[in-house]
Amino acid sequence: MAQPQIPVTVLTGYLGAGKTTLLNRILSEQHGKKYAVIVNEFGELGIDNDLVVNADEEVFEMNNGCICCTVRGDLIRIIEGLMKRKDKFDGILVETTGLADPGPVAQTFFTDDEVKARTRLDAIVTVVDAKHFLGQLEQGDEAEEQVAFADVILLNKTDLVSEDELKKVEGKIGSINRYARIFRTQKSQIELAAILDKGAFDLKRILEFEPDFLHHGHDHDHEEEVKSLSLTADRPVDPDRFQKWMGALLQLRGPDIFRSKGILAVDGAPRRYVYQGVHMMMDSDWGTPWKDGEKRSSKLVFIGRNLDGENLQRGFNDCLK
Amino acid sequence: MKLDLSNPAWQQTLPPGRPVAADAPTAACAFSKDGSTVAFALGDGRVRLLPADINAAETPAAEPLHGGAVLALVGDPAGDGFVSGGDDGRLLRIAADGTASEIADQKGKWFEHIAAHRATGAVAASAGKSAFVVKGGEVKEFGPHQSTVAGLDFSKDGSRIACAHYGGVTVWSIGQVTLPPRRFAWRGSHVALKWSTDGKFVATGTQENDIHVWRMAQATDMRMQGYPAKVKSLSWTADARFLYTSAQPVFTAWPFSGKGPEGKPPLQFGEEGAGLISVVAAHPAAEFVAGGYDSGELQLGDIKTRRSVVLKMADGSAVTCLAWSPDGYRLAVGNDAGTLLVLDLRR
Repeated sequence: MAQPQIPVTVLTGYLGAGKTTLLNRILSEQHGKKYAVIVNEFGELGIDNDLVVNADEEVFEMNNGCICCTVRGDLIRIIEGLMKRKDKFDGILVETTGLADPGPVAQTFFTDDEVKARTRLDAIVTVVDAKHFLGQLEQGDEAEEQVAFADVILLNKTDLVSEDELKKVEGKIGSINRYARIFRTQKSQIELAAILDKGAFDLKRILEFEPDFLHHGHDHDHEEEVKSLSLTADRPVDPDRFQKWMGALLQLRGPDIFRSKGILAVDGAPRRYVYQGVHMMMDSDWGTPWKDGEKRSSKLVFIGRNLDGENLQRGFNDCLK
Repeated sequence: MKLDLSNPAWQQTLPPGRPVAADAPTAACAFSKDGSTVAFALGDGRVRLLPADINAAETPAAEPLHGGAVLALVGDPAGDGFVSGGDDGRLLRIAADGTASEIADQKGKWFEHIAAHRATGAVAASAGKSAFVVKGGEVKEFGPHQSTVAGLDFSKDGSRIACAHYGGVTVWSIGQVTLPPRRFAWRGSHVALKWSTDGKFVATGTQENDIHVWRMAQATDMRMQGYPAKVKSLSWTADARFLYTSAQPVFTAWPFSGKGPEGKPPLQFGEEGAGLISVVAAHPAAEFVAGGYDSGELQLGDIKTRRSVVLKMADGSAVTCLAWSPDGYRLAVGNDAGTLLVLDLRR
């Protein structure tokens, strides 16, 4: 019996950015929806609620020898457990600790068949502290990676900084990940409908949206810096050559590529071919059909470290008919 | 024990049974030690008790005992009731009349796995990274392990417990808390565990669709691969000659008599289900086995004659639990949609 897939929102953000405030609102506000919330620190939320589940961020390495194939086994267990409840949920939220790498959480939804059958990763939402973000970037890779993984960003605590500073932070966010939707917030105040069950992971936005980032803030263009780029093509894609190229690319560069997504016009296919990946893991499917007379173009997006746009575009061009 | 699957009656009619609609996913089922009562763990916090005798008057449904879903359930080895664990963090002892008393409360954690040892009357249950052994009025904690315990079982004599977690299995001596535990390592996440009925082997199912078996005495291990899904259900035959595993479309049994299964294919028999076997339970005494499918069917098999019969459950929901009565004549079945069934297999 096919069951509807429950949307899962992954909530990341550096320590003190405002994740707990947001979760408390989701649990206490009257929105007529029922969300299970998987938190890493039981009791940190002021709310005692049987919808709150404690997790320990138990990460394990897959036995396939790939160091970036790490998965949250506790999430698999918890999601299987939640499915044993009679009451069903409108959504599941997974909070990660402030210093967590979002990779293992996201990869969990590519790994386990039961989890894939019952849930779908809806969006990775990252809460960014407008006042401290630029400083946090200096303290390690975490703040940068959390932005790199994001589909949606809450730029929070905007009341604590000037408009100039905000622009600077937004510029920096854009230089890391120009494909995330940014909402400016104070005290994590946001319409929940704007961030939950949006299908942000389903790539719709990618094709429609090519941000033309005004200025890349202070873009030093360091090779190691995390950035995002897109590749496009108007000629149809050869699926075999694409699979081979993408497979080899993720195999080789997986650890550096945080997110990859794409919508492809495959030669002779009536539907869009959509795919998304986290590090080395990827998933693909046929999307909506092309309309008559619609321009069939393809687009790939990469967010990661050490990305060489020209080289990638050359590789992609070789996959075209 | 007479369960002759060559009897034509099996092909013509379903065995007599009592179906009950519980309207909540079923996580586990068990018979009481005396065999008089069967219990089902439900996703609405209830433990549904039914008489094992399918002709006896039906026990009415009781109020929920747990705050969320009941995740684990065994027959109480120290009485005629049951022991249940839930996602409300509580471990309860349920008397035959349905009244419950609390054994342990691990708020914020889930009691997910319970094992019972009949001869010693001990119960082992896991919540989070620790296992707890309940014997008499005493509760002893073993752990924490490196990750949440995902399966546990007693040794044959009940003197030890084995716990599955990331990176392998830990074996504790129950009577000797000061004795360091033994560790059996294998990378990855282990998600199910069963100790063989002769005490010689511990088998686990892993996240990566294979099973791992350790010889306890030599601490050597073996790995069986090629399953299309995680093996979440393992069942040793009463004589320990075979280990049945889920996640195949037919009964799949690894031979453990003689030199063991190394280099041999598993024994496979029975009709192919529409889906895969989700739960498998070897008969407590004879050479029979019951398998429930994720596509809803139930199959009974006889490993000696390789005969089998397929019984269809009404709604096609995944079978989630199976339990044989101690005398081996009755079978309890539960599924994801809350259909509970007690079958009387004498015919």
